[in-house]
Amino acid sequence: MTEHMNPETPPAETPDGACPAISRRRFIAALGASVATVAVGAYGISVWGKDPGATTTTTSGGLQVSATVPPPGALGPATGRTLVVIEMGGGNDGLNTVVPFSSSHYHDLRGDLAIDEPLDLDGEIGLHPALTFLAERYGTGEVAIVEGIGYPDPDLSHFASMAVWWSGLPGSVGATGWLGRYLDGTVGTEDPLAGVTIGPGPTPALLGERAFQVSVQDMSGLAPRVPGWIDDTDELMAMWSGFAPSDFDGAVLLDDVRAAIGTTVDAAAQLNAVLDGPPADDENTTGRRRRSDLGTSMEVAAALVTGPNPPRVVYVHGWGDFDTHEGQAARHQDMMEALDEALREFFTAVEDAGAEDRVLVMTTSEFGRRPAFNGSGTDHGTAGAHFLVGAPVAGGRYGEPPSLTDLDRRGNMVHTVDYRSVFASVLTGWFDADAASIFGTDLETLPLLG
Amino acid sequence: MDYSERERISHVARRLGFGVEPEIVEGAADVDEAISMALDLSTPTPPPEPVAPSDMGEARSPEQREAPYRYWFTQLVGGPRRIEERLTWFWHDHFATGIQKVKVPYLMFVQHATIRKLATGSFADLLGAIAIDPAMLIYLDGVQNAVDRINENFGREVMELFTLGRGNYTEADVVAASRAFSGWVVPRAGPRAQRRGLTPWEATFVPTRHDGGTKTLLGVTGDLDAQGAIDVILDQPQTAVFVSAKLYRELVGTYPDLDTNERIAATFRRDWSIMALVEEIAAHPAFVSDEAIRAKVRTPLERAVGVAQSLEADAPALGRGIFQALRAVQFVPFAPPNVAGFPKGSRLLGPYQLVHGFDLTMALPERLPDLAAAEIAARLGIFDLTDRTRSVIDAATDPFVRTALTINAPEYFVT
Repeated sequence: MTEHMNPETPPAETPDGACPAISRRRFIAALGASVATVAVGAYGISVWGKDPGATTTTTSGGLQVSATVPPPGALGPATGRTLVVIEMGGGNDGLNTVVPFSSSHYHDLRGDLAIDEPLDLDGEIGLHPALTFLAERYGTGEVAIVEGIGYPDPDLSHFASMAVWWSGLPGSVGATGWLGRYLDGTVGTEDPLAGVTIGPGPTPALLGERAFQVSVQDMSGLAPRVPGWIDDTDELMAMWSGFAPSDFDGAVLLDDVRAAIGTTVDAAAQLNAVLDGPPADDENTTGRRRRSDLGTSMEVAAALVTGPNPPRVVYVHGWGDFDTHEGQAARHQDMMEALDEALREFFTAVEDAGAEDRVLVMTTSEFGRRPAFNGSGTDHGTAGAHFLVGAPVAGGRYGEPPSLTDLDRRGNMVHTVDYRSVFASVLTGWFDADAASIFGTDLETLPLLG
Repeated sequence: MDYSERERISHVARRLGFGVEPEIVEGAADVDEAISMALDLSTPTPPPEPVAPSDMGEARSPEQREAPYRYWFTQLVGGPRRIEERLTWFWHDHFATGIQKVKVPYLMFVQHATIRKLATGSFADLLGAIAIDPAMLIYLDGVQNAVDRINENFGREVMELFTLGRGNYTEADVVAASRAFSGWVVPRAGPRAQRRGLTPWEATFVPTRHDGGTKTLLGVTGDLDAQGAIDVILDQPQTAVFVSAKLYRELVGTYPDLDTNERIAATFRRDWSIMALVEEIAAHPAFVSDEAIRAKVRTPLERAVGVAQSLEADAPALGRGIFQALRAVQFVPFAPPNVAGFPKGSRLLGPYQLVHGFDLTMALPERLPDLAAAEIAARLGIFDLTDRTRSVIDAATDPFVRTALTINAPEYFVT
């Protein structure tokens, strides 16, 4: 494949989107039988090999990238701590979340969309009026606000920006996610529940070369919906597990499916022990499942982090639609309410369980929105503000508010904080991890954790 | 790999058609005959007949909501032109448009009719029609795009996702294209449209909303409008390269090498004939090669349609079981998760998706024939069953459980 053809669309057997990885067959062909550790596609499962420190090669858009996957434990110790990431997909409007209400430029640019009475934090900035829980916790020093987060040479495409955020590799196409690489170098394949995604499916941010990623949608955990005359779902799953390999070969896609079945059976058993498990009614439950919303997702997150084997990383996505080109005022209000309420309920559950010292929550979004109101909403922007929440946080303001007068040629703000600095601050401050290896470069860190 | 001729026929039928294609698999003597059966357009498809709702209440009635699914599922399972089913799905995924935002099922049905009509025709016509398709105008904010407030959503995606691919245009091109596409609205049925003398639900050009100024798009300067912008984009050699590579991957399962890509793109560019491109790809040795067989992850929709075609499931009129099984794994036609279309590849192999693969059993009748693994698999177009799969399935005593295991066997998760 060459650059001109289509750098964005990955090779066969990876989803369309931003995280190309090599096709399975070409991968095997390229490396021969000595390969022990491989990534399967761009999302979802990884399968394990025999040598924990294998070198892998990935191809995307004609680029060949070789990387050594460090063995489990190499990039950071076990900590008993959990990071919960809440992704606000579509591009959250940072300016109407953390509002620079004291700036006349803000009001000029935003016009009718400006928030006149935010929850004042310090006379300069305020939070969206729906964010009452976050304002309270800011007051008690448990919320860090980082302003001006972005990446260089911003691409205003959702998919390009998401790829940058997920991979932690601006300017290049990453085959793995920043959290996947963290799990690769710490947990490896020891724990299939070390990385759990809550939402419509796996996230590229958690894609590793070998670490597992399990995704669930709600408290029902992992169980199929089958007709009433199949009276024992567990037995059906047990028979199905017979398709899983006893010995992994990995030569063809069919083997990947077998490996995926094996992982699935293990993960389901562990997850269902923590969550409610499948609904215990004998009526068919068709039609009950709904699109994940943040409240449901955070309920699952609370159950996981307060359970006996808390994941290292919980990634919540697929809720809301922050791409507010039109009708922004009402839509953003609804999503801010959902965020605040879900956080309040989550921390109530975490604190009831006495787990508050080992839980950190952070928000992400692929970009902020344009300062100028477009008459109905706002178009794709660049820099945004994000939160870190929890007892371990050193509360306060970090970063620097981007200028509202010195905008780029598209009328967007120029970022002041590299998004990878925030990731690196969390990985080092919270997990004592080797962030330089995970991002391939030394990054400035912020003292976000107390 | 040593695949049987029957397995190769089945492969051809699945890739050019949709589901497991029992008629082709049983009727074709060899691969060449399977290809010609799948590409046969001699019998017309029963036409889609969307009925315009008279107001917003009716627009969301159960009849309106079910009509497009009922029609599409019926054709997916048993429509007379199998390549039309493959291509209609492909273009829906390519020009992903979601009911979640469009909200009017009738408009999704109209778009489906447009795509189906042009799916086997000219890509230039298809792209031109999509640019002013009412559902697309709503989905990518074309209806918000006016001279005094240019909205870049469609202008960007038409180049990033539909024609050129990222890296083949600039931000200035996005603005220029967006200005060219400005001015279109879709009036909703109701008194307002009536007062203004507008036809409800039709894409309507409002000259006062259009930016008539001079634009420079991809090096071409002029007072471009929507069709003008489409023409400029089609003139870029990269468009044929990008789209033909994507269709090649859809059918073959891998990307073409550079030479092949250039060759099929040249064919495509000549008159934008989609069928000429399909025929060239189908004739390529790679299409029936060992590397192509079982090289793709079977989508939930392909699995569901295959079950409906072969196991007397409740499909033709969109059975509840099948629809719910698709909903569970978020693979519902007319509802792609985002503008990039439906998940593909290993993203379909996560634990959640695999476990809910069993939900398809909700579509099966309680009493199933007492068949062995090899016989059930053959009905599903799988002939070269591995010993491991066979023994796991045959270990189950209940015929229903054997079927449930077969449709969740590794062989039925790939295609």
